[in-house]
Amino acid sequence: MTSGIVFDIKEFTVHDGPGIRTTVFLKGCPLTCMWCHNPESQSIQPQLISSPLGDRLAGREYESAELAALLNQQADLLRSSEGGVTFSGGEPLMHAEFLVELIDLLDDLHVVLDTCGHASSADFLLVLARTDLVFYDLKLIDPAAHRHYTGVENDLILRNLQLLGETGKPFVIRVPLVPGVTDTDENLAALAAAVRGMPALVEVNLLPYNRAAGSKYRYAGMEFKPDYDETRPVNSNTTIFEQAGLKVRCT
Amino acid sequence: MNERLVHLKQAMRAGAHKAYRQDQSIDLLTECEAEGLSWPRRVARLVRRQVEAEQVVILPGENILFTRSLPGVPPVYSEEDWFRLTAGRTLHELGPVSNICADWGLLLSQGLLGRRKVALSTRRRLMHEPQAVEFLDCAIETIDAVLALAARYADQARRLGRADLAAVLEAVPAHPARSFHEALQSLRLCQAVVWLGGNYHVGLGRFDQYMGPYLQADLQAGRLTTGQAEELLAEFFISLNKDSDLYPGVQQGDNGQSLTLGGLQPDGTSAINELTRMVLRVSRDLELIDPKINLRVSSETDLDLLSLASELTRKGLGFPQYSNDDVVIPALVAHGYDQEDARDYVVAACWEFIIPGRGMEVVNIGAVSFPAAVDQAIRSSLAEGRSFDEILKHTCEHIHTQVNALAQAYARLLLPPAPYYSIFMRGCLEQGRDLSQGLKYNNLGIHGACSANAADALAAVKQFVFDDGSLPAGELLAALKADFAGYEALRRHLDEAGPKVGSNDERADGLLVKLFEYFSDACEAYGRMPWGGLLRPGTGSAMYYIWLAKGHAGMREPVIAATADGRLSGEPFSANLAPAPGVRVRGPISTLQSFSKIDYRRICNGGPITMELSDTVFRDPESIRKVAMLVRMFVRLGCQQLQLNSLSVDTLLDARAHPEKHKNLIVRVWGWSGYFCELAPEYQDHIIARTMYQVE
Repeated sequence: MTSGIVFDIKEFTVHDGPGIRTTVFLKGCPLTCMWCHNPESQSIQPQLISSPLGDRLAGREYESAELAALLNQQADLLRSSEGGVTFSGGEPLMHAEFLVELIDLLDDLHVVLDTCGHASSADFLLVLARTDLVFYDLKLIDPAAHRHYTGVENDLILRNLQLLGETGKPFVIRVPLVPGVTDTDENLAALAAAVRGMPALVEVNLLPYNRAAGSKYRYAGMEFKPDYDETRPVNSNTTIFEQAGLKVRCT
Repeated sequence: MNERLVHLKQAMRAGAHKAYRQDQSIDLLTECEAEGLSWPRRVARLVRRQVEAEQVVILPGENILFTRSLPGVPPVYSEEDWFRLTAGRTLHELGPVSNICADWGLLLSQGLLGRRKVALSTRRRLMHEPQAVEFLDCAIETIDAVLALAARYADQARRLGRADLAAVLEAVPAHPARSFHEALQSLRLCQAVVWLGGNYHVGLGRFDQYMGPYLQADLQAGRLTTGQAEELLAEFFISLNKDSDLYPGVQQGDNGQSLTLGGLQPDGTSAINELTRMVLRVSRDLELIDPKINLRVSSETDLDLLSLASELTRKGLGFPQYSNDDVVIPALVAHGYDQEDARDYVVAACWEFIIPGRGMEVVNIGAVSFPAAVDQAIRSSLAEGRSFDEILKHTCEHIHTQVNALAQAYARLLLPPAPYYSIFMRGCLEQGRDLSQGLKYNNLGIHGACSANAADALAAVKQFVFDDGSLPAGELLAALKADFAGYEALRRHLDEAGPKVGSNDERADGLLVKLFEYFSDACEAYGRMPWGGLLRPGTGSAMYYIWLAKGHAGMREPVIAATADGRLSGEPFSANLAPAPGVRVRGPISTLQSFSKIDYRRICNGGPITMELSDTVFRDPESIRKVAMLVRMFVRLGCQQLQLNSLSVDTLLDARAHPEKHKNLIVRVWGWSGYFCELAPEYQDHIIARTMYQVE
């Protein structure tokens, strides 16, 4: 039996996949995106959050059977509401072994995997085989910019994207629009080029920039230091994707 | 909404019609005393004089007429006489009959002249029964007064060149309505007169059922387009909001002008019609606090209707409130209601289930204080070193004692006569009996207040004092006594680590279920009234979530200090069926699961599961459909009633700081909606603090 660190479980997450869903947020992420609005999700360790509401420990260890039992309490309700469970994070693939064990214990639930794609291809494929729909996050195509803004190379992410395309598993590409960083026409065009022609791609979602991104850093004892202008309106140029023959939506 | 309606709404909100308000209430007492009138005759005289004193007000562009000009309702007895008359008896709230529901279909199908004919025929039949004759004469006196008022309105309309409106007022309320417009006008006038006569929380009942056929006929005959019908309906709704500030209530907006949509017809087939949907659409577009909308749903209700209803929820008015027919109807039948009547139920002022035209029920007569029972049991049993089972036993006994005391007080209930209101009840004119002498159903309803906090307190004691033994009883007692001063770590532990209702945690939910079992048992044991009515237990709280915490003049229940769930003295309790304020629960699905465990067959007085959803949930049509699915989940889980709110904490905080910028911000308070800025601060704070299910 393996265990994973969960920093939140939210019910009725209406923007995390079809139907009524419960989303499990796993703790730990290989990326440190400058705009991350869940800074407490980055470290894999449980950590103290000190806010005006008091101190709270973010992150709780669950054994796979324990979490499966919790989720299965709602299985009938989620199934009959055209929904299921979404695994998000952090980066859920940091707990790939746990996730595999957990999904196998779930009571026939629709599974969405929300991933940044930065994981070993073996782990990715193992979880993918147990997933019904993938939310694949893409940020930047330029390797140097990716390194600068997320702290890691994007080669693994792009390689796993190819793998995903080949498996034929339905997926949605999600692009966080960050003013002057990911929302440039140049980057959007490069993203469109990277995903065009993949038959299992359902659509591209452009996610609005979260102005409240910085608010949680202080409480997590971290520092928020964007080197871009947060107040600039984002460029949500959907035509670039439409011209590439892709279905695109600003959510 | 077109420009004309926008203008009418703005003028109403700005209070333009209040310029026509008279300065003073009429004097009634002098003539009542001089003539030595009986109580029924005084009430009839009150209605007549009020109606006679009404000034005709026709505002520019109006199509649904009647604007109240009288500011108040004068007393029918002097204070001394009233005191003598009611000595030793129990009055409900202000005294006059309130919070029942007429069968407005009687008015629309027979007209006041038709009802008058019935009264006359009964009078001939019962001419040797003075009480019946007096009642019928009273009813006729009020009918004649209302007809005279309608005639004055018609005359004035003609003078103003509004021959169309004059024709409507010449036809109704005297005659049966022949069109949607006539039906709305007839209802507007006759319902407003009930308020004028001092009765309050005047419900509108199954609006889509009695009004639907008039709409349908007009649409089919091509007399109205859907657009025109919506406009008339919108005007009718605007007119219902004109007099809100004159209605009695705990807070402004607490006025019981609710209507009920959907559900089943008495024969068991679906009652949903074109008007069901039209009311939802018009209410969504108007965004006014009246009428408050209830939607009856079942496992058969389709998602499209629920999605339309969710669009209304999105507006943040706090309605529609949903009642689950699959659960409510069997509960009513189990409490002695005929199947056909049970299928015809409506929701009263807040959440109580009543049968229109067939109930002289007082469904909000009082409340059992769960926190009082639990807190007393915990403190006394722990002090004596008793077991947890004994705490439960003590809790049960306390609830029984409370219900028994309430039942004894209610057995002395005194209902003043209401001859005018009786015209719209089934059987009153037919049998020569005022509604205050009883109708087909004569039950009373009591709320089971603040159940989540009470269950949480029991769960904390069981968990920490008994099961894991981590908390010595003496320490808990000392902490409670000190209102947790010097025990902040313990308080936080109780608050955060204790089992809580709302998270589908059997350790707390099981105790919640027990509380309602004790309550239902007690109502069965002591609730039989001398006149044959029952005490119906409910799950609502009304204003007790504030009163039990902060006290209120005249309240018979004790104020509860700090409680074992980690709640500080003075902090409000949970409203209706909701997790305790400030408690982090797993989410809406778990909360529905928690509350689905209650045995609702034994609970037929209503009281909704109350949930706040962040307004960001309602961003797109797909998400709105998911809200509809959540309602369907509530139905399938076998819960009884649900009230969803769409709220933004930021907006509420801003409204608190800058009320002038948020004059139209509407919120749900307990069983009703009102303007946020017109609420007392403690009610505002509770709304801000209520659990938010933040969804990004």
